[in-house]
Amino acid sequence: MDLSPRATGPVAPGRLGNRRKVLSIGLLVAVLGAGGLVVTKFLTSSLDYYCNVDEVGVKAGCEAGRRLRIQGTVDEGSVKATNGVTHFTVTFNHVTVPVVYDSLDPGGLFQECIPVVVHGVMKDGVFAGDEVEVKHSNEYTAKNKSRLTTAESPACSQRR
Amino acid sequence: MPVTDNAVTDNRTPGDLSGSDITGAFKSGTGTRFTRLLGIATIASMALLIVFGLFVSPADVIQGESVRILYIHVGTVWVAYLAFSVTALASAAFLWKRTTSLIWDRIAGASAEVGVLFMALTLFAGALWGRLAWGKFWVWDARVTTTAFLFITYIGYLAVRGLGGSHHQRGRRSAVVALLAVLEIPLVHFSVKLWRGLHQDSSVTDTTKVKLHDQMLFSLFIAVIAFTLLYSWLVIHRQRVMAMQDALDDKGLDYALQQRRDEGDG
Repeated sequence: MDLSPRATGPVAPGRLGNRRKVLSIGLLVAVLGAGGLVVTKFLTSSLDYYCNVDEVGVKAGCEAGRRLRIQGTVDEGSVKATNGVTHFTVTFNHVTVPVVYDSLDPGGLFQECIPVVVHGVMKDGVFAGDEVEVKHSNEYTAKNKSRLTTAESPACSQRR
Repeated sequence: MPVTDNAVTDNRTPGDLSGSDITGAFKSGTGTRFTRLLGIATIASMALLIVFGLFVSPADVIQGESVRILYIHVGTVWVAYLAFSVTALASAAFLWKRTTSLIWDRIAGASAEVGVLFMALTLFAGALWGRLAWGKFWVWDARVTTTAFLFITYIGYLAVRGLGGSHHQRGRRSAVVALLAVLEIPLVHFSVKLWRGLHQDSSVTDTTKVKLHDQMLFSLFIAVIAFTLLYSWLVIHRQRVMAMQDALDDKGLDYALQQRRDEGDG
């Protein structure tokens, strides 16, 4: 009497009929294909993390009245910290938006000439931001010591 | 199933113990001459990575010293992708009738375990880097979210391996999950191209336009080699431990069955 519940080799074939096997694989491929299509083609705008500055009030999902995340590059010379808030302007594709960030240090690598994402609401042409995230590029260059003496931000120097 | 030491060490164990007696092959542990050499190579390349990653390679003009996280972050995620791909290939080999063998199932499992470990390191290093560069430990952008999704999927794969049943049942169930889960890797990799996010695009995709300083690229190269060696060392050892575990389970089961039979006879 063999009580062992173990199968000693691969299971006997034919437990799953060939027709059923083809059908289930076909169904799986169809579901995965449809899922892939939905994710890559139709969900795009809702999965995008931000609206570019020039799309605010233009693109669907970037309406000026709602809470947004806007992306643009911090303009050179625009950063001013006063009374516990930080003022700066961000530009993308020749459209500039003034931003008032409700705190002093936006954090991360925040500096002039660097692209940032600001969370907040558009109010009377000014973007009232409460969160700032820095979007650094995928380019890496060695720090050049002689450049450190200049007052401008490294991101501005790199752009030249 | 609880297995007492007695079940394995008792020489008088009754019953048929034929079958793979793998424990005998690794009496002195799971190391062999090859794995010891591999271990030495791993330590040497790790030492080289410390030298190049921390001292020889320069700081970045914008990110400063924090750019050195790159070698850990990219090195570990490379291993995680590699590990999950190996899991998928080994699972396919297990499911394919002509090559089916439990060794493929164990390689798949061992590789996934190491992959999950490295993915955790990627997420951890990424969180620290995110805090320094973005200003946030975590953001719900496409790359970060899909990576977390991949991580959780493979924890689920490991859970499926632990469902119980025979070794072959475990092998078949988990192989199907592995072949589906690996499809998430292209989703994670291309998430930075498909959707706008905070995470940067990769710096080394087109070999003619590498956006990385020469010494940074070389350090990254060392990191990839060092972590790949570490991965191989871990998977080889883990897979052997799993073989011993399986043999132990078999012996324990045989022993228990024999005991019940003896009770009946007596």
